[in-house]
Amino acid sequence: MISNKAKKQIDTWVAKYPEGRQSSAVMEALKIVQAENDNSLTSDTIQAVADYLDMPGIAAAEVATFYENYNHKPVGKHTIRICHNISCMLNGADDLIAHLENKLGVKTGEVTPDGLVNVKKVECLGACVGAPMFQIGDQYYENLTADKIDEIVDGLK
Amino acid sequence: MADIEIEIDGNVVNAKAGEMLITVTDREGISVPRFCYHKKLSIAASCRMCLVDVEGAPKPQPACSTPIADGMKIHTQNEKAKASQKAVMEFLLINHPLDCPICDQGGECELQDVAMDYGSDVSRFTEGKRIVADSDIGALIQTDMTRCIHCTRCVRFGAEVAGIMEMGGTGRGEDLKIEPFLEEGIQSELSGNMIDVCPVGALTSKPFRYELRSWQMNAVSNIARHDLVGSNIYTQTYKGKVKRIVAKDNDSVNETWISDRDRFSYEGLAHENRLLAPQIKVEGTWKEVEWDVALDFATRGLANNVFNARQADKLGALASNTATLEEFHLLQKILREVGSENIDHRLNVKDLNNAISLESNIKLAGLEGVDHALVIGSNLRLEQPMINHRLRKANLSGTSIDVINAMAFDFNYQLNSENIISPNQIAATLAGVLKSVLQSAHAQIPAYLDDVEVTDVAVQLATQLSDSDNSVIILGEHVVNNPQALSIANLISQIAQNTNSTTLNVSASANSTAANLAGFVPGKGGLDANAMLAADLKAYILLDIYPQYDFHNSIQATETLSNDDTFVISLNSFKDDVVAGYSDVLLPIASFYETSGSHVNVEGLVQSFAAAVNAPSDAKPAWKVLKVLADLLELPGFHYADSTQVTSEVMHQSHKQHVHDESIDVKAKRGVNVIWQKSPYAVDVLSRHAASLQATKIGQINSASMNKATAKKLEVTQDGEYLGVPVVVSEAVANNCVFVNANHSTGGQS
Repeated sequence: MISNKAKKQIDTWVAKYPEGRQSSAVMEALKIVQAENDNSLTSDTIQAVADYLDMPGIAAAEVATFYENYNHKPVGKHTIRICHNISCMLNGADDLIAHLENKLGVKTGEVTPDGLVNVKKVECLGACVGAPMFQIGDQYYENLTADKIDEIVDGLK
Repeated sequence: MADIEIEIDGNVVNAKAGEMLITVTDREGISVPRFCYHKKLSIAASCRMCLVDVEGAPKPQPACSTPIADGMKIHTQNEKAKASQKAVMEFLLINHPLDCPICDQGGECELQDVAMDYGSDVSRFTEGKRIVADSDIGALIQTDMTRCIHCTRCVRFGAEVAGIMEMGGTGRGEDLKIEPFLEEGIQSELSGNMIDVCPVGALTSKPFRYELRSWQMNAVSNIARHDLVGSNIYTQTYKGKVKRIVAKDNDSVNETWISDRDRFSYEGLAHENRLLAPQIKVEGTWKEVEWDVALDFATRGLANNVFNARQADKLGALASNTATLEEFHLLQKILREVGSENIDHRLNVKDLNNAISLESNIKLAGLEGVDHALVIGSNLRLEQPMINHRLRKANLSGTSIDVINAMAFDFNYQLNSENIISPNQIAATLAGVLKSVLQSAHAQIPAYLDDVEVTDVAVQLATQLSDSDNSVIILGEHVVNNPQALSIANLISQIAQNTNSTTLNVSASANSTAANLAGFVPGKGGLDANAMLAADLKAYILLDIYPQYDFHNSIQATETLSNDDTFVISLNSFKDDVVAGYSDVLLPIASFYETSGSHVNVEGLVQSFAAAVNAPSDAKPAWKVLKVLADLLELPGFHYADSTQVTSEVMHQSHKQHVHDESIDVKAKRGVNVIWQKSPYAVDVLSRHAASLQATKIGQINSASMNKATAKKLEVTQDGEYLGVPVVVSEAVANNCVFVNANHSTGGQS
């Protein structure tokens, strides 16, 4: 379930912690396994990570469900993480979310039929100065408007 | 830790520095509300209900996680403390459904109790409450997770006590849910304790669901008789029926916990299969009769078959290990009064000349203090859950544990070494251990060890025992029918003597210690169980025996008992076709919790209990039946008004111990060894009739495990059966060994 390449990557993280504390590497391990499984986790992959790190499955699941960055449903090639926390909300994030949903024809949490994009509502990403904003991959897009969103989304491949 | 003085609510209190504040208030009887704190679990300090005011601290402090220091001044009742507790209570009630009228916890709910004291009459919360979807977590525990207040006691119980972290908190914030990860549900043999620790109605007893309110029931202190611990319990009864069982605290026996077997077996009491009326067999047909008719029939049968011909030695008595101390005593007394020494309770031992004799000389609580343990022939976790729990606690604080087993079992702690050894090699291995111990002590090596090879494993096991100041050797059930059982026990004795170790004998379970205490073993000239069934006895008195489960060789036993000229009196709590087949009289007796009596646990602690309910219909407590039978036989000395008089009589008499056979045979044997075990929830007739227990994963264990080589030798395959039990081919089993865990009655064993 976990490829040898991923195991090697996990091992480098395990090595950073004292002997017997291999479960400390669970966050990185989940990230690594998620990356090689179309960017989402299932109970089987979570269990596999737990088994590899010799920890209870539920303990790995607690971590995997706590953090936003782990996905538990299939996601698109690109995830648009749009902020709807206070600054963005006051600057019209809700309208932009509606616009995005309209444009893509899917609700937040769903993937477009071509598997390219999904939208995820997230809390503050620390870019209030440029609210409203969203994040795609490692890139922040700030001071969004409906037109700007159209341009960005149309450019996704 | 030094003694210090602190001030709580203006009163000076002595305590130890570093103790948590809540420990002190609990000891002093000062009430501090709490949800997440539990004295046997780690401190989470997550519910914040126990906030108190500590002078000098700017904010109120949680009593459960505030260590005390000299001169500390604490207020548990002042305005600041009260206001904080009220505020926490209000938050906790925000998402609680307040469905108390339909909640099973109602009336025994910590949240309800605390809300009475600290809650407000009117809610200021007008928004929507959260709802949590339930998952089915098995046959024993009912979930209503909308009621959950996230105290995480069940999570911590699993991780810390049960040793399997099964419940966990997934999601976060408002989406936090307490749930198991695996869909198969909860697997632990101690899972029912989660019901006890849950402060709200989120986890409740599934078999008890919607049955009754807690205040409608009477709670009667009782003792569970399924294993060698004798866990203290409350049987909660309503209108003469046991409705639920919960744990009763006793730190020297079961602490706060009980096993699922002890908690849920009561369901069997109400099973339709109970034997309810005395019956006699007239010309091959069963007839329900009154007690006096049945007992008269029984005494006449004994007179005709045995006494009239002056053949008292043609009478035998056999009893199940679950009988009470008093029942063992009265039955052996009847036999000895009429002049028969044919008395035995060791029904599952193939060769009683080779029976284990090993004393237990360590207390249950003492197990926590050992620094090394060697477990031989036991799946301790499922067979003796509370003893295993003590050992696990010891292990968590650093005790090393070595295991010698015929199969790799799922231990819930880290083993120092797990040695999977064919049953034929165990004696030889232990002989190696003894030799190694003696060699390193430069002691004289007895002649029988001359040819013994000291393997690396033996040296390792020996070194561990010799190097420990306080070690224990535990001998389990799997060795009972080992061809060298006696030698194994004697070798353990020798090793223990030479390494200053204590020993714990868990090779016979339930109330077997009571049977030995009451002298329920053959006396001089008497026949043991196997000899009785091989000899041509004319009459038997059998106490709650079910041959297909209890006898080592049930086919032979059934055949012998079925002889036309053999008169069999059976005292049974449940109906059974095989028993009806060979018996001439069936006397219905009380089951667990329906009779008074005593349990003697593995450390020799005698725990007496009263009947919680009356036996159903015409069934009577067996001690009364035996007393009346003795009266009808006109035997002297059976004038008892109640069972406690029997108890004190047993305690004042001493039975001569058997002359102990100290022979040791260390030669490795050949051939395939069958270790035949009743599966953990099929050990006695009551558990076998408890539907919910049987529906659990442990209850379904029914397998004959062996490795590939053995399967080939026995010409069976993965999908086949061995002696009527489905075969599982697994390399976890030692060579030349079949490990059977049977939960159904089968044709018998070789």
